[in-house]
Amino acid sequence: MIQVEALTKRYGPTTAVDELTFAARPGTVTGFLGPNGAGKSTTMRMIVGLERPTSGTATVGGRRYADLPAPLHAVGVMLDVRSVHPGRTAFRHLLAQARTHGISRSRVDEVIAITGLESVAGRRAGTYSLGMGQRLGIAGALLGDPETLILDEPVNGLDPDGVLWVRGLVRSLAAEGRTVFLSSHLMHELSLCADRVVIIGKGRLLADASVSELVQRSEHASTVRIRTTDPDLLTKVLVGLGAEVVPHDNGVLNVQGASVDDVGAAAARCGATVLELAADGGSLEDAYLHLTADAVQYRGGSTDGTTTDAPAGGAR
Amino acid sequence: MSHLLDRAAGSTTAPERGSDRGPTLPHVLAAEWTKITSLRSTSWLAVATVVAAAGLAFGLGLFVRPGDAGSGASLAVTGHVLAQFGPLVLGVLVGTGEYATGTFRATFTAVPRRLPVLAGQAVVTAGWGAVTAAAAVGASLLVTSGQRAGAGFVVDAADAETVRLLAGYVLHQTGVALLGLAIGALLRRATGAFVTAVMLLLVLDQFLAANPGRFTDLLRALLPAAGARMVQGDAQVAALDATSFGPDLGAWGGGLVLLLWVIALLGAAAYRLRRHDLS
Repeated sequence: MIQVEALTKRYGPTTAVDELTFAARPGTVTGFLGPNGAGKSTTMRMIVGLERPTSGTATVGGRRYADLPAPLHAVGVMLDVRSVHPGRTAFRHLLAQARTHGISRSRVDEVIAITGLESVAGRRAGTYSLGMGQRLGIAGALLGDPETLILDEPVNGLDPDGVLWVRGLVRSLAAEGRTVFLSSHLMHELSLCADRVVIIGKGRLLADASVSELVQRSEHASTVRIRTTDPDLLTKVLVGLGAEVVPHDNGVLNVQGASVDDVGAAAARCGATVLELAADGGSLEDAYLHLTADAVQYRGGSTDGTTTDAPAGGAR
Repeated sequence: MSHLLDRAAGSTTAPERGSDRGPTLPHVLAAEWTKITSLRSTSWLAVATVVAAAGLAFGLGLFVRPGDAGSGASLAVTGHVLAQFGPLVLGVLVGTGEYATGTFRATFTAVPRRLPVLAGQAVVTAGWGAVTAAAAVGASLLVTSGQRAGAGFVVDAADAETVRLLAGYVLHQTGVALLGLAIGALLRRATGAFVTAVMLLLVLDQFLAANPGRFTDLLRALLPAAGARMVQGDAQVAALDATSFGPDLGAWGGGLVLLLWVIALLGAAAYRLRRHDLS
């Protein structure tokens, strides 16, 4: 159980994290989502005691991280792939971590086996690919068999096989009743493995909802595009249903506030011939981009000269 | 997958749930020992230190003639001029390595109270420094044995100066290793730490020695370079005190100055570590 209350971090005039409140509960995978620079890593560093909050609190299992008697047994942490001395072998790196808690050598071998690093554990970490580094970081997080896991961008740099493995791993850890808290800047990734998603932008909480809620919200916000032989008639019917309709040339209507099913059924009822029917966008990714559109720090320039709602940098 | 995790869970649900599972000082010490011994640079530096010490002692021994002033011990410790870079570099590497490589994230999430890590680093660095210095002085005695016999220099374990020089050599090298660690842990950047340490140990001392005076001599006596008096012969130390306008430190007084620097800088590093963010 991770509880964050009114957590704030300022660096001089910049506010990296602003009055953030949320919880990650046992038995669930909680995703932590936001554009680059939104304050995800800062929040995670405050939760594990590397940084001190300007105000507010972060606790794990009801205690401040620094007050945990045996942190590795309570919380498994992977913050950055670059957390290993490149001259040290993976085995020695894990062994040094294990020794801080008197964890046995056999447990080190176990986590190496769990993460599939057996064949490379004797190699120096500096020779590792990004994906192998991620696995090593996850191995370190699992060492103390902790009740809570905090993973910063765990699928970053993994091959498709590794991505599937991480998804399976976090699901099974949550199924065992553990609290799993992982960050990503990819909504899509979280929709596949998280139960809940906490979305932040510019350090502020934008949404804290279950994945299914977010899916519903995004469907509601989507646009349905229909081309029909009788746009006027259909417009009347759709407006009667409470939808917003924007007519275009050639009998094309852009409908908001109604699902594809609703629009199709309405056309059938009024007898308008449907030539084309499609949902525009409405993906979870769009809902996320819409939420964070105002809160993106680094926006890429538009490539086609037109303005876009979607931040091109970072979020894709 | 899940059976692996089940096995994992079984292995750590041991009966003990006491504080000895956590990052106690002995545990952290064992971890720091594992860290320092798992880097190749550690053993290479030890070998280089011994070779530099013995090599320089042997080289200078070639010029020793019967009737020269000096003793067997003072010849054996002459290698310190070069050999002190070994412990200095090791100390700086231990002090800065965590930050240069990002290892500090893994280290300080395992030991959130932080200070036991610095204590552990100090112990393993001092241990490395002392053992390497003992090996270096042993090798120096070995390679210069022929030269000593030729010049009539004896190493007498009952002679106070001999004992003082050999013990002083080990203490000086250990102190230099700790100074490197303290500056490294305080500055967290290897280059800056190394330059600072070389300034304090060598450059400033040479500069001040070239400009004798009441103030410069006082300053010189207060720099960690004064620790090198521990590896200088009785006559040399006496001559230094006689010509200096500053305080007469003697040999051990110089060692005390170095020790106070180590304590003060480790204190500053501890303060930075305890009070400030790690990112």
